[in-house]
Amino acid sequence: MGAAAGRPHTPMAYFLQNFPQQLVNGLETGSLYALVALGYTLVYGILEMLNFAHGDVYMVGGFLAAGVAVLFVHSGVAAFPAGLVVALMVVAAMAGTGLLGLGIERLAYRPLRNASRLAPLITAIGVSLLLESVVQVRVSPAPVLVPSNALVPQVVIHAGSVGTPLMAVVLVVVSVLLMIALDLFIFRTQFGAAMRATAQDREAASFMGIDIDRVIMVTFLIGSALAGMGGVLFGLRFATVDFFMGFLIGIKAFTAAVIGGIGNIRGAMVGGFLLGVLESLGGGFVSTEFQDVFAFLALILVLLVRPQGLFGEKPLERA
Amino acid sequence: MRGFRLFAVFALSALGVVACGGGGGGGGGTTSKPDKVQIAAEGPFTGDEASIGAGALQGAQLAVKQFNAKGGVHGTPVTLLTWDDQHSPQTATTLQAQGISDPTVLGVIGPMNSGVVLATAQGLQGASPPLPFVSESASNTKVTDSGWTVAHRVNARDDSQGPAGAKFMIEQGVKKVEIMDAKSDYSTALADQTAQYLQKNATNVAIHRDSAQHGQTDFATIVQNIKSFGADWVYFGDEGPEVAPFVQQLKQAGLTIGQNIQFLGGDGTDDASIIKNSQGAYVGAYATNITADPASVSTAASFVTAFKQEYGADLCKGGPFYGSAYEATQILLDAINKAPVNNGKISRADVITQLANNTFDTIFGQVKFNSKGDVTTGGVYLYQAKADGTMATVKQVSG
Repeated sequence: MGAAAGRPHTPMAYFLQNFPQQLVNGLETGSLYALVALGYTLVYGILEMLNFAHGDVYMVGGFLAAGVAVLFVHSGVAAFPAGLVVALMVVAAMAGTGLLGLGIERLAYRPLRNASRLAPLITAIGVSLLLESVVQVRVSPAPVLVPSNALVPQVVIHAGSVGTPLMAVVLVVVSVLLMIALDLFIFRTQFGAAMRATAQDREAASFMGIDIDRVIMVTFLIGSALAGMGGVLFGLRFATVDFFMGFLIGIKAFTAAVIGGIGNIRGAMVGGFLLGVLESLGGGFVSTEFQDVFAFLALILVLLVRPQGLFGEKPLERA
Repeated sequence: MRGFRLFAVFALSALGVVACGGGGGGGGGTTSKPDKVQIAAEGPFTGDEASIGAGALQGAQLAVKQFNAKGGVHGTPVTLLTWDDQHSPQTATTLQAQGISDPTVLGVIGPMNSGVVLATAQGLQGASPPLPFVSESASNTKVTDSGWTVAHRVNARDDSQGPAGAKFMIEQGVKKVEIMDAKSDYSTALADQTAQYLQKNATNVAIHRDSAQHGQTDFATIVQNIKSFGADWVYFGDEGPEVAPFVQQLKQAGLTIGQNIQFLGGDGTDDASIIKNSQGAYVGAYATNITADPASVSTAASFVTAFKQEYGADLCKGGPFYGSAYEATQILLDAINKAPVNNGKISRADVITQLANNTFDTIFGQVKFNSKGDVTTGGVYLYQAKADGTMATVKQVSG
């Protein structure tokens, strides 16, 4: 009722006036979804398991970055240039989450590699709860401030009617660069070929002399480090991290991966952006109350029309 | 025989050596000593709403400590159980089960969140005997409108908080208001109350509604909605955690609170930690609260001194409800103290009767519950976020 009263123009004029901004907003949200979705899809491609702890690895990345930031900004060691602090945040988060991913794989998933498919799924949910609880109890139950004002310039970039914070642009650019790098790694390097071979047929790949354990470890390392970087970008953009932040984005990223075709790397990227834009446009032009409905409606539609996802091909050609 | 025993009891009490309740069967007047008295404090003491809950728990702890120092319930110290429900009804149900089954748990301070109350009050009512609660912060109208005899609260209701906020915005000349909720029993009801009052009493004010999500941090879509709507006020009925990222993104989008946009929130946003967590973007924002700030009430001065002594001088850490939690605890303990003791036991049914019929002295003055369990004296107060990191009382806006 009140909605119409506040919009002076015709619906079409309103749409045209706001579309570019909402599109940009959606791309930003989507790039974060895509970055996390990559971790889901990489692991699924190789192991055919859903690593539900992945969203929480992202959360740990955010906390590692926040820890470094708080240490340097609030402890009076302010002599450090902001750029160096941000670099340290990235290193700490990516290295930390990469190792965490390796540890999770070694301790929680490897012993179950030949168990029924349900066992690692349940274990993944357990790992997810464990990470959340440990951070809640040991680190902070309340949201932690990432002092982003002291670290990144709070500049808004304007292009026509569209305005977006510099950090949002950085977030999209860094995500896209990481995705391109990953794509090149998978499709242009020898190790990438080994990964693709393992995804196609683990047994045959091992007969060809591929060290399967190593491939799986590298997969977890890369996927987790990407999530860690996502945590850093999130912290710098939104200036807050909390122990529960991995839950929602975990579900969204999983949805994005399924829309794109789980197991398919380019599909996860496209799925992430698509989901972000859909949510933004749905929230902007229909109702924010049903913002999440659009995301999951899209998921259902895709699954109805193309159960293998947008980019999912024949099951054997997963990467 | 009988007459002799009665005489003996009288004589002993006159001498000040009152017999212990456990002594013999059959006796037991109102002055004998209860074996065990427990109450529970329930709320989100950790988790993302800890900035609201942790201080409330401290208020309750201090009240119990002082009560016990004065001798407890006829000489029996009160044990305070801590039920940290993290605003989850499921967790709350699990925690309450131990109280429902243990008849020495005589009452609950809280639950703090309306959603938790609405989901669990039926269980408290269905216990035998029913387990009464006195909430310090649950403001949804249904908390006391549902006919539960166990339900009491010391704070004001949404149907006074919403209109009070709306009235303040009208007084300030609001033209276009963006009304936001965060999809919870508390948040949506409060936003609805505010919107309804505006629709009825200020028909020239344009309203646009948006919903945030619990745990949401990316508000780009809503901020753009606000910009294209051209709002001069934002009303956010939020429990708290979503506000800091939201106001930061408003500022990044060129909408600075106090300059080209005004912000008003409900009691969940009367929280000084938002100022720090928003890196100052919250400064200038208004928040209504359903309880007074003890620091600005003269009758609460000694409580404030004691609270500072116990938990440090920074009252901001107490959150918005440390005073009302203390008040609620005072009332519950007083009701228990006034209930009769039989064979070393106090019945929860008697505590409920006391709560319904008695008048209680608290740091905020005398308090009496009406037939629903609402206080007749509760008011709504307006606060403003200051650059020094505090929420300062502006004035009382209703009550």
